[in-house]
Amino acid sequence: MTSRTREWALAASFVLPAVALMAVFIIYPSVKTLLLSFFDEQGSWVGLKNFITLLKNEDTLNLSRFPNTYPPWGSLIHNAVWIIIHLPVTVIFGMVLAVMLHKVKGGPFIKSVIFLGMVIPMIVGGVIIRFLFDENSGIVPLVMRALGSELLGKTWTAYPQTALMALIIGSIWLWTGFSLTMHAAGIATIPKELYEAADVDGAGSIRKFFRITVPMLTPVTSVVIAMTLLYEIKIFDVVYAATLGGPGGSSMVLSLQMYFYAFRRLDINLSSTVATLLTLFTVGVGIWLTRRNLKGEKA
Amino acid sequence: MKKLFVLVLCVLLPAALFAGGMTVVEEKPGLTIAVPWAGQELEQFLPVLEAFEEKEGVSVTALTYRAEDLSSILPAQFEAGQALADVIFMWEWWIKENPQYAADLSDVWASGRGAFIPSPIEAAGKTAGVPYVMVAKPGFWYRKSFFRRNGLSVPQTPDEFTSLLRRIGNISGIKNPIVTGDGVGWPISDVTEHFIIAAGGPDLQTSLINGEVSWTSSRVRTVFRDYLVPLLEAGAFSDPVEWTQAVELWWGGDYALYFMGNWLTGMVDDPSDLGIFPLPGAKGIVTGPDWAFIPRESEKVDMAKKLLTFMLSREGQLLRARQGGKFVIRNDIPASVYPANDQMVADVVSSMETTVADMDDTIGGDWQRVFWDQLKLLWVDPDSLDSVLRKLQAEMP
Repeated sequence: MTSRTREWALAASFVLPAVALMAVFIIYPSVKTLLLSFFDEQGSWVGLKNFITLLKNEDTLNLSRFPNTYPPWGSLIHNAVWIIIHLPVTVIFGMVLAVMLHKVKGGPFIKSVIFLGMVIPMIVGGVIIRFLFDENSGIVPLVMRALGSELLGKTWTAYPQTALMALIIGSIWLWTGFSLTMHAAGIATIPKELYEAADVDGAGSIRKFFRITVPMLTPVTSVVIAMTLLYEIKIFDVVYAATLGGPGGSSMVLSLQMYFYAFRRLDINLSSTVATLLTLFTVGVGIWLTRRNLKGEKA
Repeated sequence: MKKLFVLVLCVLLPAALFAGGMTVVEEKPGLTIAVPWAGQELEQFLPVLEAFEEKEGVSVTALTYRAEDLSSILPAQFEAGQALADVIFMWEWWIKENPQYAADLSDVWASGRGAFIPSPIEAAGKTAGVPYVMVAKPGFWYRKSFFRRNGLSVPQTPDEFTSLLRRIGNISGIKNPIVTGDGVGWPISDVTEHFIIAAGGPDLQTSLINGEVSWTSSRVRTVFRDYLVPLLEAGAFSDPVEWTQAVELWWGGDYALYFMGNWLTGMVDDPSDLGIFPLPGAKGIVTGPDWAFIPRESEKVDMAKKLLTFMLSREGQLLRARQGGKFVIRNDIPASVYPANDQMVADVVSSMETTVADMDDTIGGDWQRVFWDQLKLLWVDPDSLDSVLRKLQAEMP
């Protein structure tokens, strides 16, 4: 055996066990799921029929109600709304909090408290959200009643107008800790000299934030955006615990819909179709992040 | 080469040992039984297990699981050759659709044949499941002391019922006359079925279950439009409240009436203060057993059969009846052994022309979830009646 062959054999011996496990537990199920989405229950090839059936189903896309009236709008739109609201709020909120708590007395303690939302299991987070917005025991309706709002003083998760928003707001509370922690770590790596130079030039706090902090945090922010997007696309446990996608499907999301198709309806093909759609979205996010990182390395 | 061989050995050997260690299953002594009850309901069942433990010298551990959660967990577990417990309580429709996972209980049933009121679940040529206890969903519970204090009386006609709700609504401190229990959705479906039976007749319930009548038919729409929706719009029902929290709030005086099954008798501080009335004019109510099966994958099928046999025996059923909260399934247990409140429910049941099956428990599948979810929507948005009925019909299996 030549030394090159020996090297390859050695490398293979390290890699093979992991590849074998990946093949069994990741690659095979993924390929099988993808294939199932193109077949029907009898095992016959149906092409894109499952995808068309899924997208035509008002549980997935209810354009007769969106955007004219309140949910249900379909799980696809619910996920999109989740992203549109949740993503910028958590990213910006986390960044601003990281700046505000940087080198502040008690800052580390406050950051730990905010990070608690990330530490608790999401299923517990969903239960907390249910009670946070409960008319009888929740603080949010209590405050809303004090402010004079009748609708918002009721149980948010019981009404189609407010169920989805309750989950999104609760999820912002749960996820902001991640954004805060990542940005705080990023801020710590920004060279002090940049800020000193800006001070010499007479720049104010706002100018320094937008001209130094934000650009320097771009790599971190990209990661936060990507991870948050993935979280929002795959959101399941919070919804399951808080509303089960109701009332009337007004807080249904793709992952939960996939779960119900698989384990309640026992329709593996339709469930695989949803899974394939979710995979496409997450792969899209992954490709965006990878290209961004590669661009950054080249620069 | 030698070095490579040694390296591979160092990697594979611990992996093999680890994997081998993973397959060693610790033998658990005694039996486990997965039940849908918790709190007071479970406490009412424990004396039966204790009596079996004393008799057979075998310990039994009761685990609480919701049927909704088991329906997703069990198939995968059984396919993997695992059994979550030695005796499992599940919905009737689930056991009927999955008899391949159940051991044959013909011998268990034969031990008391002739003494049982309902029939067992026969599927795939075997006795796949047996009933253990029965529940009734008799009507609206109230506190006698509350009625006395406010000069209220049990309504005998639909007009008196409406008038009662109006009077209760005017009492200071009352948020809504009727509290709506919630969870996954079954308390709402229970009260809805009571309205269907009372306003549409017991045969309408049965016809809907069998798919003989459409949810969008005028007959069904009339029940909702003329009986239930007006009460929802008038605020007679509260928003859905977590059902055990609802018990506390109702008992504490925030609400006057609570539609719930007879197990409520075991959940209040003073059962003697309980009163019950069905909707005036109702000719039927929902009753139904809690069903049990023994998974084929259980390692202790014979001992599990002994447990089930004991639970269904006269001795076991007598013990259970004395605890209250459920009705037993034997016809040789006198009504006098039940606590007073259960006798009160038994009186309501016997005053009915017939009993009918629970709709969502019988139809089952994903329709059950959709039924619960759509009713939650109807409760807070009565204007959505038409879309709710359309959805229910579209999702019928």
